[in-house]
Amino acid sequence: MATEFDPVADSSGIRSQPTTTTAFGREWNLTRLWYGFVGTAGFLAVWWAGGREVPSYLLPTPGEVAGALWAELVSGELLVHLGESLLHYIPGVAVGVVAGGLLGIGMGWSLVIDAALTPVVRVLRPIPPLAWIVFAIIWLGLGHTGAAFIVFIGAFWITFYNAYEGVESASRDLIEVATTLGVDTNRRLLWRVVIPDALPGILTGVRTSVGQCWMMVIAAELFGAPGVGYEIITSANNLAMARSIAYMLVISVVFLLSDWAVRRVRSYLLDWQQ
Amino acid sequence: MRYHNDAAITIDGVSKQYEGEGGTTTALREMSLSVSSGEFVTVLGPSGCGKTTLLRLVSGLESPTDGDITVAGKLVQGPDPNRGTVFQAYHLFPWLTVRENVAFGLVEQGVPDAERQDRVQEMLEVIGLSNFADAYPKELSGGMKQRVGLARALAVDPDILLMDEPFGSVDMQTRRQLQDELIDIWRDTDKTVLFVTHDIEEAVALSDRIVVMSGTPGCVQATVSVAESRPRNRSAQWFVDQVETLFERIKSNT
Repeated sequence: MATEFDPVADSSGIRSQPTTTTAFGREWNLTRLWYGFVGTAGFLAVWWAGGREVPSYLLPTPGEVAGALWAELVSGELLVHLGESLLHYIPGVAVGVVAGGLLGIGMGWSLVIDAALTPVVRVLRPIPPLAWIVFAIIWLGLGHTGAAFIVFIGAFWITFYNAYEGVESASRDLIEVATTLGVDTNRRLLWRVVIPDALPGILTGVRTSVGQCWMMVIAAELFGAPGVGYEIITSANNLAMARSIAYMLVISVVFLLSDWAVRRVRSYLLDWQQ
Repeated sequence: MRYHNDAAITIDGVSKQYEGEGGTTTALREMSLSVSSGEFVTVLGPSGCGKTTLLRLVSGLESPTDGDITVAGKLVQGPDPNRGTVFQAYHLFPWLTVRENVAFGLVEQGVPDAERQDRVQEMLEVIGLSNFADAYPKELSGGMKQRVGLARALAVDPDILLMDEPFGSVDMQTRRQLQDELIDIWRDTDKTVLFVTHDIEEAVALSDRIVVMSGTPGCVQATVSVAESRPRNRSAQWFVDQVETLFERIKSNT
């Protein structure tokens, strides 16, 4: 599942010198900021130089993209299309995370459920969410519901897997302690020990879902569901590449914002851990 | 001296075997021991002698392969908050504050809110951690963690306290302090304590009776009573002699 979009990759501790931490969990200091500025300027310069040499329908310049972005923003179209994307993204992620989390907890805890469902899960889990697009189309049509279905499948398996791992590896020691303190039902054990112990894993699943599902959204929209992804493909079909790239940037921004929000929630819920 | 008569814990011909890949391992063989109500008994022995297994059997976390364990006349068939257990590795719930950790058993017993808070506050005062009530375990030192572990087990007011090398992970200074605190608590509360350690000095400093175990498989090798009053002076001649005698005893058997 390690793609370049993987939002958890940056927590691996590659950066070794702690300074001050602010936006997006990265470490910032003046030197880094300066290098970042130089790198960005260099990137834009190369882009600009390339864009000047070729027609706009092959590669628009940064200025043209900025212009297109501004035009979409002031016309209000950007918000409309972002709203369309959110209309299938949010329900898909929400239902997928809850359902996947519940199944993961259930299978991780109950040997009976685990034994009964493992064969089905083994076969279904490797299927990429986008492969379900055929069912999304014939069952639901490629509107919001169909796209939400694809998003749901993505969020479902990601959260399922993390919840399952978290519950399965819940501390035996803490479970024992709880039983010596009078916990004598599965329900209490799950609620008081297993789920809190698995919460870091579950929340990693939620965070990964929130990130990865933007890919599901765009993929579903490339097939025709309305939203930002649909604008990317139709603009490109009309050779309006600046507009296409403008909407690609929109995806980047909403990805970063949603990931940031989930991280905030996560560090709030796991304040006992840091 | 306390009044010891009715047996709080009776271990009767208990054996414990584990089935492993290399065949059967016997951790305990026909072990018998009786602990009187209010008595402080320490099981002393080298690592691997089965003393932790014995404690787990009494706590009900595992069942014996053979023999019976009865507590207050009732057969042990599983864990029970009336047998409070303290572990060497503390095993505090990391997502709960000190206060919530101590309250854990009370919540499970359905103790009403107001009563629970009073009881927790009382326990926090006993262990001297009132100022850390809202801290998470990660913020505590080893000694503080074990105080919380002890308070958590004591909060539900068990008759029996089972302690598995509880001070084995803290430094010497803290260990002494915790030992003294434990003795104070024990004197004030009339608990029956079954304590497991490999630290001979600790056993002599704390116990009414020391059960020396030898392994493998573990069985009782000797039982030594210590009648001296507490607090015990560790540099007194009898103390030094007792430690030395026990040391020789264990050495000759390993």
